[in-house]
Amino acid sequence: MKYGYYPGCSLEGISVEYNHSMRSLFTALEVTIEDLPDWICCGTLAAPSISRLLGIATPLWNVAKAKQEGFEQLVAPCSACVYHFKNAENQVNTNSKLMSEVEAVLETSLTGLPRTVHPLEILVNDGFEERIKSGIKQDLSDLKVVSYYGCHISRPADVMQFDDPEDPQSMDLVLSWVGVQTLDWSRKVDCCGAHFSLIKPDIVVDLCTEIIESALEAGADAIVVACPMCHANLDTRQGEIAQKLGRSIDIPILYFSQVLGYALGIEPKTLGMKKHIVDPLPLMLEKCQPWGNGSPVLQEVSA
Amino acid sequence: MDFRSEIEALSGQNTNLCFQCSKCSAGCPLGDKMDLKPAQVMHSIRLGREQAVLNSTAIWLCVGCETCSARCPQGVEPAAAINAARLMAMQQGVPPQIKEVDIYYRGFVDNMRLNGKIHDASVAGITQLLTGQLVENLPLAWKLFKRGRVKPPPLPFGGSDFRKVYRKSFEIEEGSAL
Ligand code: SF4
Ligand code: SF4
Repeated sequence: MKYGYYPGCSLEGISVEYNHSMRSLFTALEVTIEDLPDWICCGTLAAPSISRLLGIATPLWNVAKAKQEGFEQLVAPCSACVYHFKNAENQVNTNSKLMSEVEAVLETSLTGLPRTVHPLEILVNDGFEERIKSGIKQDLSDLKVVSYYGCHISRPADVMQFDDPEDPQSMDLVLSWVGVQTLDWSRKVDCCGAHFSLIKPDIVVDLCTEIIESALEAGADAIVVACPMCHANLDTRQGEIAQKLGRSIDIPILYFSQVLGYALGIEPKTLGMKKHIVDPLPLMLEKCQPWGNGSPVLQEVSA
Repeated sequence: MDFRSEIEALSGQNTNLCFQCSKCSAGCPLGDKMDLKPAQVMHSIRLGREQAVLNSTAIWLCVGCETCSARCPQGVEPAAAINAARLMAMQQGVPPQIKEVDIYYRGFVDNMRLNGKIHDASVAGITQLLTGQLVENLPLAWKLFKRGRVKPPPLPFGGSDFRKVYRKSFEIEEGSAL
């Protein structure tokens, strides 16, 4: 399989640790990914608020490039980017006038586009279970987490065509491969408030308070996420959440790629685990026993 | 074209399918903060209440989480109709009920046009400056900077030939909200 890689703007900025952990996980799994050349921002909700055509043409510029490069799948770790790619494609596929307008904008045919996927889709659908299980170097069976999927991994179902929109399981499944305990909880597909962090932070604090309280009630040591915006909102707003609740809140937020990478023995620094606001390393040190004598964490800490 | 037909054409939604069960309103994470809830927006569109919709807070508060579209028993996508209404409001220059959102979307696209990609720290900084929230966000910005999560801004006007995407989209559409 020839995978193209679209990091997206957040992964080159505030969410570099997701980018680093994703790339090092692919390396550990011996999956070759090639960066999409000349990629541009998917436009999120901003471009379609300015111009309908622009909002469809910017995501599809990238998918059309991926087709020219001969990629069979285009992997995008930001679930909002994946959503905008798939949604734009769905819109042109159901409206022939729109299709020809967007083709005129992009000066290329939009038939036979490669599939855009979130990395979780690859892990679950492209047969990685054995490879991951056989590479485990750390015992994570003491770690209890909740998987937080947020909005766009599987919603809306007819567009995303992956997992269950109300009770997704893909992240729980891949985490279970490395022995992590994933707990049941009721907020796995709730919204974190996304970009409102920059405009109406009080709304994000309200929404994230409910998510974090519910994770703590379930008994989670950490929340595992698969989207840069979910991570930023849950990780950076805990001070305000603590103020609102009148007690201290300090729950690590980890990317699934960091947890998998950690289990496979990739160094925490490579996984960007030192870049979070809430430091996850004390938890990892407490909960995770090395298999054999090769704990990279212990070596790093003692060095 | 009347208001309802225009929204339907832009969004690809048939508002007649909506039977007002209000499931979309019930699941909307921002519903309690909207004046018109998603189901009321749908009904207002069907009734042609253009001013009520374009002057609602709902079209600005929608974060696009798609919970409404995922749960609608009629297969309607309220999020798409709400997006179309926001586009219309921005293109017509209707004064936004939540001005911060309007500032953010315009600033975001301005930034996209410089290099194709956005520089997230600039978008955040400019948005917070223009909405008067810069000072309270500086401590967080500093924490992120110390952790190597703020990259330096790129030189403007780099990138490939992506600019034609903007030019042609605006040409075919005969304008944009910018
Ligand atoms: S869920 Fe669907 S049918 Fe029910 S009110 Fe909302 S749009 Fe209408
Ligand atoms: S997409 Fe918008 S209207 Fe629909 S549930 Fe989410 S915030 Fe509410």
